[in-house]
Amino acid sequence: MNNLPLKELLYKMADDQLILGHRNSEWTGFGPLLEEDIAFSSMAQDKVGHSLALYTLLNQLGESDPDTVAFTRNANQFHNSILTELPNQEYDFSLIRHFLYDTAEALRFEMLTQSSYEPLAQVAKKVRGELRYHTLHAKTWINQLGSATEESISRLQKSLDYAMPFALGIFEESPYEKQIVDNGIFEGEQALKTKWLTRVEEILSNTSLHLPDFKIIHPVTGGRIGKHSEHLQPLLDEMSEVFRIDPGAEW
Amino acid sequence: MNSLDPRVSRLPQVGQEGKIFPKAPLDQFGTYEVFVQSKEGKPFQHEGIVHAPNLELAYVLAKETFTRRFTCVSLYVVDTRDVFVSPLTDGNRNVYDLLDDVNDDEGKNKFEIYHLAKRGKQHMYAGTVVAASVGGALSKAKAQFGKEKIVYNVWAIETSNIRFTQHEERELWLTLPEKKFRDAAEYKGGGKLKNFLESSSKS
Repeated sequence: MNNLPLKELLYKMADDQLILGHRNSEWTGFGPLLEEDIAFSSMAQDKVGHSLALYTLLNQLGESDPDTVAFTRNANQFHNSILTELPNQEYDFSLIRHFLYDTAEALRFEMLTQSSYEPLAQVAKKVRGELRYHTLHAKTWINQLGSATEESISRLQKSLDYAMPFALGIFEESPYEKQIVDNGIFEGEQALKTKWLTRVEEILSNTSLHLPDFKIIHPVTGGRIGKHSEHLQPLLDEMSEVFRIDPGAEW
Repeated sequence: MNSLDPRVSRLPQVGQEGKIFPKAPLDQFGTYEVFVQSKEGKPFQHEGIVHAPNLELAYVLAKETFTRRFTCVSLYVVDTRDVFVSPLTDGNRNVYDLLDDVNDDEGKNKFEIYHLAKRGKQHMYAGTVVAASVGGALSKAKAQFGKEKIVYNVWAIETSNIRFTQHEERELWLTLPEKKFRDAAEYKGGGKLKNFLESSSKS
């Protein structure tokens, strides 16, 4: 069987989880309150764990071992969406990104519990509890801050307007989209985007936030084919700094 | 700021050269009490508090603050102001002997009763009673669970004020037993160091 479509799907999912997991871990020790610092750090750790599970599936399909894949590739070999690599900025942006991304991530894994590729369906079933927490956390904060004070609402709205074109880039289609759908590996990016939009709208409707006008938004794409912003390479250099000192070290 | 941690070096500058500002007033969240059930069939136990802007966020934050290690099957949170606390005794004095009897048979409110059975330990769930008031609840608790052992402190929490874990939310802890890496003792650093020292002294 031609594994390329499957591998492409696994790479983009794993890279999303690793890069956003790393970005979110940058908040460790700097979070807005102790309890939130712990929660956000735990979820970042979960994401890196998900990337490990997916890189392990890739390894079983003949790719290099997870550490090599995670720490030795350059930016143009990564398939993550550009949304995940953007610098953290203020917490309002990190929270909005967490909400937009994790809503999509949870729906994607939920859909993948039905995947014809059984090892992937198993991973999707296994992480459902973690994703339930991630989306509960995101939704609860958006509910609170999206209807709390003038400042919290305007800051979240500004971040939402900024993040939305990048968030639409999550659903950049694969060159193998048709094969992925036809083989029952995954229902596809379009189906995911439709479900995501419904869910995002449903949550925002309970707040004072509103979605920007989709007619005038252009999705920021390219991440899935290795065309990234200037922010990814510095992230990779920082993330792999210790690994590169001694790639053969046993931890 | 110049630090080995690149995140520290990226932090925004605080203050302005040559200027002195008064410290900004603190904007603090309220507190919520966290109760954890470590295993199916075991009683809930008080674990500590979290700061949060509301009950639902307290639940969300309590989950990672108190159950990111070890075992957990369920947790609940309640506003600190909704926990009613008896006096604290010591020696051989049962706290229930210090409480006046209140008879409010007509009550329909449920209360969760917590006992401190040993000084310095956590409050453990003793049972649930139905009463009209906190005083009535404690009287019923005394009759039902206050006779066997000495209790040093008792709490009563009206059940309707609690944010419980819903049945389908129990999957939140599905992968917890696998997260041994969060426990420092799971990393056998000593053994690795010993092996390293042995192999370097041979070469």
